Order: sequence, then structure tokens, then C-alpha cells
Amino acid sequence: MPDPRTALLVFALVAGVLLLVAWPRRGLVARVRRLRRLTERVRLEDALKHLYHATAAGGLATADGLAGALQVPRARALDLLARLEARGLARADGAGVALTDEGRAYALRLVRTHRLLEHFLADRTGVQPAEWHDLAEEREHEMTGAQVEALAARLGQPRYDPHGDPIPTATGELPAHDGVPLSALAAGEGGTIVHIEDEPREVFERLQREGLALGQLLVVRELAGSAVEVEVEGRVLTLPRVIAPAVTVVRRPAERTMSPRTLAALRPGETGRVARLSAACHGAQRRRLLDLGVVPGTDVTAEFASAAGDPVAYRVRGALVALRRQQAAWIELEPAGAPPREAA
Amino acid sequence: MTAATACRTCAPGREEALVQLGVSTGRWDYLVALAGNPNTGKSTVFNALTGLRQHTGNWPGKTVTRAEGVFASHGRRVKLVDLPGTYSLQAGSTDEEVARDFILFGRPDVTVVVLDATRLERNLNLALQVLEITDRVVICLNLMDEARRHGIAVDPVALGRELGVPVVATSARRGEGVDALRQAIHDVATGAVQPRPFRVTRHDPAVEALVGEVREAVEAAFPGLPNARWVALRLLNADERVEEAVRSGELARLAGLAAPATAAATVPAGTPADGAAVLAAASAARWKLQPDFHDRLTQGIYGAAERITRAVQLTGLRRARFDLDRTLDRLLTSRVTGFPVMLLLLGVVFWLTIAGANVPSALLADLLIDRVHPLLRAAAAGLPWWLGGILVDGVYLATAWVVSVMLPPMAIFFPLFTLLEDFGYLPRVAFNLDALFRRAGAHGKQALTMCMGFGCNAAGVVATRIIDSPRERLVAILTNNFSLCNGRWPTQILVASVFLGSLVPAAFAGLVSAGAVVGITLLGVAAMFASSWLLTRTVLRGEATSFSLELPPYRPPRLLQTLYTSLVDRTLIVLWRAVVFAAPAGAVIWLVGNVRAGGASLAEHLVGWLDPLGVLIGLNGVILLAYVVAIPANEIVIPTVLMLTVLTQGVAGVGAGAGVMFELESAAQVGELLRGAGWTALTGLNLMLFSLLHNPCSTTIYTIYRETGSVKWTVVSVLLPLALGFTATFLVAQAWRIAAGG
Repeated sequence: MPDPRTALLVFALVAGVLLLVAWPRRGLVARVRRLRRLTERVRLEDALKHLYHATAAGGLATADGLAGALQVPRARALDLLARLEARGLARADGAGVALTDEGRAYALRLVRTHRLLEHFLADRTGVQPAEWHDLAEEREHEMTGAQVEALAARLGQPRYDPHGDPIPTATGELPAHDGVPLSALAAGEGGTIVHIEDEPREVFERLQREGLALGQLLVVRELAGSAVEVEVEGRVLTLPRVIAPAVTVVRRPAERTMSPRTLAALRPGETGRVARLSAACHGAQRRRLLDLGVVPGTDVTAEFASAAGDPVAYRVRGALVALRRQQAAWIELEPAGAPPREAA
Repeated sequence: MTAATACRTCAPGREEALVQLGVSTGRWDYLVALAGNPNTGKSTVFNALTGLRQHTGNWPGKTVTRAEGVFASHGRRVKLVDLPGTYSLQAGSTDEEVARDFILFGRPDVTVVVLDATRLERNLNLALQVLEITDRVVICLNLMDEARRHGIAVDPVALGRELGVPVVATSARRGEGVDALRQAIHDVATGAVQPRPFRVTRHDPAVEALVGEVREAVEAAFPGLPNARWVALRLLNADERVEEAVRSGELARLAGLAAPATAAATVPAGTPADGAAVLAAASAARWKLQPDFHDRLTQGIYGAAERITRAVQLTGLRRARFDLDRTLDRLLTSRVTGFPVMLLLLGVVFWLTIAGANVPSALLADLLIDRVHPLLRAAAAGLPWWLGGILVDGVYLATAWVVSVMLPPMAIFFPLFTLLEDFGYLPRVAFNLDALFRRAGAHGKQALTMCMGFGCNAAGVVATRIIDSPRERLVAILTNNFSLCNGRWPTQILVASVFLGSLVPAAFAGLVSAGAVVGITLLGVAAMFASSWLLTRTVLRGEATSFSLELPPYRPPRLLQTLYTSLVDRTLIVLWRAVVFAAPAGAVIWLVGNVRAGGASLAEHLVGWLDPLGVLIGLNGVILLAYVVAIPANEIVIPTVLMLTVLTQGVAGVGAGAGVMFELESAAQVGELLRGAGWTALTGLNLMLFSLLHNPCSTTIYTIYRETGSVKWTVVSVLLPLALGFTATFLVAQAWRIAAGG
């Protein structure tokens, strides 16, 4: 029988090694897999996508820009560009680099795959929003054309990804996308959020944490120095000016953006009428709420709370349904005192 | 009866579709599907129509149960297929897919939609969707007695006028209206009644315009298709299955079936060009859709449901009774009384199970093991010694043990639990505990499956079907093993009283050992929460999740019905599976004790090899071997341990021979035997820990495989508790030894 202290020591060592190797993102196995994935083709495709994004907005793509985006030395970036040129996917254009037609088509296919994957992750899985982009980045290189089309069919040929970016069709068309950065709105102006920039990741996470999501209506209250104060879904947020351009909005009349009450605000015995389901509620969760009858125009009464306070039982369309506080916060109500609806 | 004459209204193509859906096509005249929301008494209607002539199975390729039955009506045989309870047919989940596929492609002669009269408006969502797919519908307005009790009156005649199909009011559990239902089914099946169903058409104008475009394309390509509008809606939603049907010509065949039969009827072939045109039109229309198309559709359906309900329903007719439900809810979910009542009720259930099962278990053991076993041994005297040994001492003995330990507690626990379920209380338990489970990433209903697991883990795993969110269901399945099942209680109680109770003065022994067992149980609950939390943050991170919990109205439970369902559905079926696994285990145990090699039995060799590992984690080789061979059933661990101890120690005069499991009369005797073999308090404690934290029994493993359909998750369910068990026993052993001196 081995000495207990030695046994514990060995156990601790083995456990430590296992953790080092198998830890989800930073472990040895994960790192090795990431490195192996970064084959030549993947690198070229990443470069191609960068060129597309850089030139899409009318800007210039340079080797330095590429080096920064892919986090590689300048020499490597130049090398990648040379290879792209050799394959006829890019060409020199003045001070920078431009895509050839073939290169553009290839890049659009990649963008399509990426955004379809993000839509899949948002609609059919429970993966956290902050991880959509990275996961899509990984998988987009592994899918064949047939797989991509099959995925698009399964998802119902979506037009926009969960960030609001348009998804190119199989033939390379892009649906229209009109909007202005949040920074372009003046105080008192309002708009619907149509896009939230997914890179850099920290910015996206910050916006996520503030509870911003596509489809929300917001009003700019005040522009003060380095911050923008907005009101969205009844809450007031302060965003640093630098990250305001990451949010794109389509201008809407300001008075329509006030919707302070959600179901979570109802106390037992109170009734409210559903105005809309927040866009932050997506995928299977949204479909379930709709199936239960939580649609605009429905009267919902809070009946009683559970012994622990959460969830709360609501009467919806004659049935008693328990909803968690988080779900109740997704259900926006019409302002109290709205006139009764006409019988249909 | 050949398939041709059996299926009179069939046309070519339907038979293949039916075979694919798993329905056999012989020996029935009409096919009827039974659809409805969950919790509408649909299974009561099913039972009322078919009696005992039914059998359950799974839908092909899916882990969704399905019941089929037959009944006679006006001299014809009618086959009834029970579809899964669903809120809608939008095909967002497997249940909905199954139901939708059957109604669309199986083309039942009649679809019966069961509605709950106490929740009419919500139930109409499904009814209206079914009416969009098929004309031949009968509405069964069930739970009329409950509606009366709640002061709700629904006019079935008015409802029939609104919906355009026959409506039959029933109280299936009382047998009221069942004959009228049969008549209505017969009328619609034979064509005596031609329903003119109401279709929801007042969606908002933008939606209607697009639907019209696609519908025209569908009608042009497939003239005669009765549900062109519904097909158009599904294509706009990019429904994969419907698209495939258009592409492959399946929909064309359906259109051919719908067209009136003429003398020279030929099925119009859906050429690829037709299908492509339709898909192109749908694709173009979809491009113009607003993103909230699905929302608006549902809104339209509910708008119609609301209007219809207002026209046919009166409420508030009887205030007094309605308040009973409210009072009950207040009592069972309030901050003050909610938890105490819950603990009290669950405590009573457990106490009744343990106390009530003692005597029957002892009686069964006495009968099967003390009396029948020697008789069988005598009867097997004529057989070769090894055959008799395997069959009588191995297979029979193991099976007898499992039955005598497993059956009485389950026969008490499951009916009690089912009574609470029928009454409507169990969802309130999930409601109260959800906040706690949500923090661990799980669903409140996991409290219920956890409780079922205390009866039997296999039953607990099957019970997870009540959780319809994929991620939460997997968590419940993978952690169910941490509920200390019935088969492990005897081990825990025995070991606690022998090894832990003896550490304290006799006056406190009983208290200490009971406390130890309770402690282990609570540890299991803690392990369940901890592993749920871990799983949802690692391997289950990406699984889809959608929480919903409906609180059905309280209903007086039906005692006899409950006893029958819980005994047959739960107890006997689980027992059968356990016996199937225990029998071979018995054979293995006997063989291990009797096959000799190199001068010692196989058991002694294996014990020798396993001993070093065993001692390292505070157990010993005997225990490890017992757990290996007793994977099939936890009930036979202690008898196997005793047998192996006697075998390896060469103790004379105890037991019933090599390879034969046995039990001793008193705990004191057990203690003497085991201590003589070198067992200490540490061994006892770690055995209790390991008994809690080890792989599930093979019945449960098999059930997990059937429910998840995945080898990966089954492997996780085995390795997770095993890893925890080894780690826990290892750490405790080292700590104990360090503390004990050295």
C-alpha cells in the first residue's frame, strides 16, 4: 500500500497535467488543433476575406493592414499577397491590393459560409452570442460547396446573419442594407438596430452585455464629450463614443421607441398586452413562446410567483404557463392605459 | 385480408408512405390519427377508443413513443395512431416533425384533434393548423367535466359551425361521448359527412399577397392539391421536408391522390420542371419577406382562435369551484408554505416506500430464495453439475434477488408518484425548484426525474421525456445516476449499520447509520447539481435550449387507472428489462466462482489482480470484482461480495457453495465475516461512496442509449460517475490514512 502522501502527490501531478492538456481553449490539445488547422489554404482564405472586407467599403487594402488583421509579420503578409496574385485572385492596384473578379467571387462564397454558420449557431444551438464569430471562423474552411448549400436549405435561405450582415446568395448577390452608424445620430433621433459589429470581440461582448440586440429601437438622449447616452427598451445606457460606430441603425421616428414595460414588471394580479417579442429572444426559445400564444396583441396576466420567486406563472390564452424572469424580460408590453382592442 | 382489399381508399404511393412511417398496412379499413396539445387527456381518449387492444413502440428512427390500436366500428376495423402531443405543427422539434409528417404524408382517413375545453383558445392553434393540412378532421372537445367544474361552458355545436368540421364533446375518463366520437369518425371516414373546414386567411395584407403568389405557383404545378395554401405557407417558411416533397415528386403523388378517381386515373407525374418552378417562386417570394414572417403567421392564427373562442365559450359560470384551484396553488407555491409542503409530501412518499416495502421484500425473498431455490436445486439434480449450477445457482438466483429487492419498493413508489402527477402537483414542484436548477444550467423538471431516479434510474431516464428542451434533457439523463436508486438502499443501510453504527455507543447507532445514509443521499444530490453545472459549461455548451413549463389545472386523480398505468407501464416494464440483464449476470457470477485455473478459481485470480487498485482507493479486490460482475444490477452487489469473501477467505460453513450468492441473517454476522476479511470503517465508508458514485447499471446504460440514440452520450454517462467515484474514494482513503497516523 503506497504512502498516502505520495499517492496524493502523484494524483495532483496527473490531474495538473490533464488540465494543462485538455483545458477547453488554452490547453495543449486545443492549441495543437488550432495550429494544425491553420494550413496554407486557411491562411489564404483568411487573407482573401480580409481583402474583401477592406475594399467593400471602398477603402484600400494594404500589406500592413493584412499583417495586422491576421497577426502575422509583414513579410508573411506580403508572401500571402504574392500567392493570391499568382492564383489570379488579387492584383496590385495603385498603393494597395484589389480583388479580381474571381477573387471576389471566392471571397463572397467564404462570407456566405461564415454568415450561414453564424445564423445556424444563433438559431439552432444554445451557443453564446460572443462565440458565434469565432466558431464560424473555424468551421467555414472545412465545408464543401454542397454542405454549404445543404445548410442554407436547412436554415430556410436566411438573408441576414445574427449580427445583421447580409448573407450573399449562392450566385453572389447581396441583399440591400441601408443604415447609418450610431455615431451619425443627433440627440433626440431614434433608430432600429440593424447591425452590430462582431469584431473586435471585446467590443461585441461589451455591446452584448449592455443588452443590445438586432431589431431593438433606441433613442439618442445626449452626446456628451466621449460618451453617447441612449435609451433602449426602457433602459438608459452610456456607451463610449469610440465604439458607437459598431452599431448600425436605420432611422425611425423617435416616439415609437418608448417601450418601457416588459412582462417582468407585472406583479401578481396585473394584466398587460404584448407589444412585441424582443429580438434578443431567438431560435427555439422564440418559436416556443410564439406557439404558446405570446404574440402581439395577447393579454397576459401574472398569476403567482413560485416559492423561490422565479419563475412566475402567467395566464396566456387560457392556459397557465411558467416563465423565467429572463424570458419575461423579452416580452415587451404596450404602455399601461392603452385603449382596448377592437374585437377581431 | 390482402393489402389491396384492406386499404380501400388507398391509391398507389400511400402504402409506401405508410410503410416508411412504420404503419403496417394489413388488416384495417380506415386509418385515424390522434393529435392534440400535451395534457389534454389524449391518451385517455385513445384508451377509451381502443381498450386494451393497443401496443406501444417508437416511431422509426426516432426516440418518440407511439401507440397504435384498433377498434371496430359499424363492422369496419379502424386503426388508431396516437401522435405525440404538440403545441403546433411548425416542425421545430422532433415531436412536431413526426406529427406533421404523419398527417401530411400518411394521409390518415380521419385526423382527430383532441382539445382541452378548459384551455380552448390555446388548443385551437393546433386545430387550426391541422385544418390547413387536411379536410377530414373530427374535433374531440375533451375534459368537458373539468370545464364544468371550472365554470366554463363551450358550445360544441357553435364550435362545429365556426370550424366547419364535426365537433364531439367528451369526458373520456368518464366514458361520456365516446360512442358519438366513434360515430363521427365513421361518418367522416366513409364520406357520409363532408367537412368544409374553416381556414385562417386573415393574415396581414403583405403576408397574404406573398402567400397568394406561391399558392398560385403550387396550384399551377399540382392541380387538385387540397392544401395548396398550407404548402405555400410551408415553402415560404423554407420547410425542408416540404421542399423535398416538391422536388422529388412526392407532393405530386399526393395531388394525384386528391383528384377524384376516374376510370382511367393515372397519377400525374410531377416533372422536375414543375417542382423547380414552384421552388423558384417560393424563393423569390421569400426574398421579399419581412424578417418577422413567422411571428405574423402565428399572430394570424391566434387572432382567429381568439375570435372563435369568444363566440363559443362562456366563463365565470361558477366562481366557487374555480377558487379551489387558486387556493391550492397559493398553498403549494407560496413563499411560506410551498417548500415545507413539498418536503413533507416527498418525505411521506419516501417513508411509505421504505417502510411499506420491507415486509413484502422479505416475504418475496423468503419465497423465491429460501423455498423455491432449494426445490429447483433438487429438481436440477439430474442435470450435469455445471449446467444445474449456472441455471439454478446463477441465473435463477440473481433474477430472484433482483425481483425481490426491486419489485416491492417500485410497486409502491411509482403509483404514489403517478398519483401526484395525475393530480397536477408535480409541475408545481418543478415550478418551485426551477430557480435552483436554473443556476446549474438545468430545468426545474429535472427535480421530478431526479425523484423518479430514487425509485429506479432507468425509469428516471425515461421520465426525462417530459423535458422537451434538448440540452436540459441531456443534462437530466446524464446526471440521473446520482439519485440513489432502490437497488442501492439495502447496500447503504447494511454497510452503514455494520461499519459506521458500530463506531458509536449502541444508543446512537441507529441514528448515526440513518444519518449516514441520508448524508450519502444528499451528497448524491449535490453531485447532481455540480455535474449539471459542469456539463452545461463544457460538453453541452452548444446544445439548443428552450425553457417552458406549463401548469395544468388540478384534476382529481383516478386511483385504479393510475395503479394500472404505473404498474404496467413503469414497474413491470422496468422490471422486465432488469431481469433480462440480471439473468446473464447470475451466470457470470457462478462461472467466476467455479471455473478453476491453475489451482484457484477465476474469482480468486481476478480478486488478486484487482486488489492493489482496490486498496489504493480504500476498497479491496473483492468489492471491485463484485461491482464489475454486478454491473447489471446493484441489488446483487452485497450477496456477491459475501460469496466472494467466503470464497477467497476459505471460510468454512458459511454460504451455500462456490459461486452461489447468499445473505446472512443479521447485520452482526455480516460484520463478523467482513471484518474477518480485513474490512475496516474506511472500507465501509468508501463502499458507501462508491455505491453512490459509480457507473449506472446496465439496464440504465441501455435505456440511456435508447433515449439519446448516441454512443457518445452513453459513454459520458458511464465515465462521468465512475471518474467521480474513483476520485472521491481515492481522496477520502488518503485523507483517512494520513489522519489515522502516518
